[in-house]
Amino acid sequence: MVALIDFGDRIGKAAAQLRGRPMSDIRVFKARKIITMDRLRPVASHVAVRDGRILAVGNSECAAPWGDFVADDRLADAVLMPGLVEGHAHLMAGAMWQFTYVGYHDRIDPEGKTWAGIDTAEAMIARLKSDAPQSNEKIFGWGFDPIFLSSERLNRSHLDQVSTDRPVAVLFSNFHLMCVNSVALEMAGYDAQTPLEGVVKGPDGTPTGELQEMAAMFPVLRRMGIDFRTLSQSADAIENYGKIAVRAGVTTMTDLYSMLEDEDIALMLRLTGAEDYPLRIVQALGASGAPAQVADKALALRERSSDKLRLGAVKLMTDGSIQGWTARVRWPGYIGGQPNGIWNMAPDEIFALTREMQHRGVQMHIHVNGDEAAEVSLDALEAAARAHPWPGARHVLQHCQMMDRALFERAAELGVACNIFANHLWYFGDQHAALTIGPDRAERMDAVRTAIDTGVMVAVHSDAPVTPLAPLFTAWCAVNRQTMGGNVLGPEECISVPEALELITLGAARSLRLDHEIGSIEPGKRADFAVLGSDPSTIGAAELKDVPVLGTVSGGRVHLL
Amino acid sequence: MSPVPLSVIGGYLGAGKTTLINQLLGLDHGLRLAILVNDFGAINIDAALLQSASEDTIELTNGCVCCTMSGDLFFTIGDLLDRRPRPDHILVEASGIANPAKIAAVSLAEKELRYAGIITVIDGLNVERQLADPRISEQVKDQFRSADLIAVSKTSREKVASLLKGEGVAPCVSTSDIAAVTGVIFGNSLLSLDPAPGTQPHPAYVQWSEPAPQALSKDDLDARLSSIPPGLLRLKALLPNTAGGYWEIHVVGAQIDLRKLEDVQSPGVVAIGLRDTLSSAKLRAWWMGP
Repeated sequence: MVALIDFGDRIGKAAAQLRGRPMSDIRVFKARKIITMDRLRPVASHVAVRDGRILAVGNSECAAPWGDFVADDRLADAVLMPGLVEGHAHLMAGAMWQFTYVGYHDRIDPEGKTWAGIDTAEAMIARLKSDAPQSNEKIFGWGFDPIFLSSERLNRSHLDQVSTDRPVAVLFSNFHLMCVNSVALEMAGYDAQTPLEGVVKGPDGTPTGELQEMAAMFPVLRRMGIDFRTLSQSADAIENYGKIAVRAGVTTMTDLYSMLEDEDIALMLRLTGAEDYPLRIVQALGASGAPAQVADKALALRERSSDKLRLGAVKLMTDGSIQGWTARVRWPGYIGGQPNGIWNMAPDEIFALTREMQHRGVQMHIHVNGDEAAEVSLDALEAAARAHPWPGARHVLQHCQMMDRALFERAAELGVACNIFANHLWYFGDQHAALTIGPDRAERMDAVRTAIDTGVMVAVHSDAPVTPLAPLFTAWCAVNRQTMGGNVLGPEECISVPEALELITLGAARSLRLDHEIGSIEPGKRADFAVLGSDPSTIGAAELKDVPVLGTVSGGRVHLL
Repeated sequence: MSPVPLSVIGGYLGAGKTTLINQLLGLDHGLRLAILVNDFGAINIDAALLQSASEDTIELTNGCVCCTMSGDLFFTIGDLLDRRPRPDHILVEASGIANPAKIAAVSLAEKELRYAGIITVIDGLNVERQLADPRISEQVKDQFRSADLIAVSKTSREKVASLLKGEGVAPCVSTSDIAAVTGVIFGNSLLSLDPAPGTQPHPAYVQWSEPAPQALSKDDLDARLSSIPPGLLRLKALLPNTAGGYWEIHVVGAQIDLRKLEDVQSPGVVAIGLRDTLSSAKLRAWWMGP
């Protein structure tokens, strides 16, 4: 058996032709190290790929039994891992980059440009001015978080400094608030007489520019031509989603909560179906309305799945968010005495939907931030499991931020996977201790250690664009539990690096019921790899987030940055 | 273009929101209604009226349209505002746990909309159980606290009215008392509507109207609007402004919408109130002054 040395495809092909035999369809990638996440062969130096799938794993001769192969040295200096899997993100993460990023944290756009974090109103004004589109009427910023702005509360006078003849709007990172300039206020007809409280008025009675909640934001968004429903369903958003995935080493990513109209599906099938589209997208249909109709639609969608677009799951929104005091929490509630949060779906509806989905064989992703929401959802899952046994259902609780050992035990018993929002520890951990649920429960938040110990199927996630897509950072959060303020929140809940690496590969793959296809580098699985610049298993727990991502291999096709 | 009135039908799961919507659809009100519902399946569409149907929109030959929410409620309302011809009235069925005030809020912000009432349907048989369930009681209370009119289904309105006594909530009528509902949301005269077949007009309310109202100044108007008598469900007024032009006033519950108009088709004042608190004489005395 002879290995053809590949100096690029053309030479390889020529060499094959010279030998008078067909070009081999087997490609053997050499790497500095391959971390397989497969216990039978945890580490390898080569992986052989055919037809977009893994043929063999081992040394340079691993493909030899299969005949001629092409040796590919492009990744020889890199460390390979299974393509990382993001089990909770939103296509919106690709869509937002058409607007100007004005968040506090540095963020990298799909093209690889780093946008420095903004911490003063002056810097925001300058950014919005310099990045203002020439041709486009509106100026729109996103990702702003007032907690981090050192100067006075953002108001229209700041944004009037950006423009006095074009509408300017800055959407807050929580997507619930927005600040706009005077032109935008005028477009919507907002003035001192506007009765809605969400159109915030200053001491002089006139609108400050701050708009709270969608009812107040919508009239401005509408006049600026921004429709949240279609934002994510554009070719640009889908292409950008692929690009940010490559930058994060991700080859399979969810889009959890979409309305998935016919034209959306057609567009997504076309774009993701392109050979060089680097990402497998797993969609979840937003479950609203009559349970039977939701199931009908999910099952019809499932039939339209392709390799790179997986359809058929649904997403249930049960409660709100902890930092917005809208999560449903159990006793003793919020430390500031805020009223308990808000159900987006009544417990009775959670029961009805859960029962129907279980009956019809539709996998559910159930948003549960507060522990009461997790408890009610587990009650509903248990009732559904009694009525319609389905051992392999593998429904997923998403976020699971306040689940304790007893709740995880129940999830394990029911075969329910838990995808934990580990990034919250760093981004919001200090606030949770100080402002939402207090230090005791903050230390117990996002309890990945406990979840693993109870035997539940665990994954961790970013909820991009809520926090940036970067599974290695998410893994770092679960390992270190460090907050932005430098505290370690509940050291007993820390996990090891190998455990964390499993969560962002096989763990997330299990939650998507795709672990037979992805999540590890072993024969038969998809040839999806993360291409890394250093070895996450040896770099050390504190540096895990700093492992450089060089690109991905998706279905055997190399995408280097 | 005059603003499109928007009303919200709220109430917990199973309260009877859809039944009420079906009643409203069945009335001969002559309006091009646009109705946003959670679920088409439960809506009675007369096959003879069906013009076209797609995944999320049903159009009727009488100009009414039924839609389900696609993605975001407010943007779906935006779609309705972009329809030509525009609907005469938008009716939103809130989902089972939603606070109808958060939906109606859009009509207080969007200039092309006008607040036209929140009707909360209460299931008289189950409301006590719902209020006793700590998981949902606050959100159920929010639903009727924000109502301009409470429509009671399955039991007598008196039972629910006494149960909610002290909560400071809107008046209760029976869901079969459709004229009270239409009075609040459409603001039309109670007499102009034939009761739906099989229902009986309820004597719980009174009406006063003045077809040729006198001209009022802004001060005159403010004096009246700051002393609205308790028990007023709805007021609709088109009357001359002493400074020229006309006033258009809508009072729905606690919401007052006051606009200036150049010209109006037919001036008049119509006020609807509860018989146990108001009489047409009291309404008249309030408006006409001593």
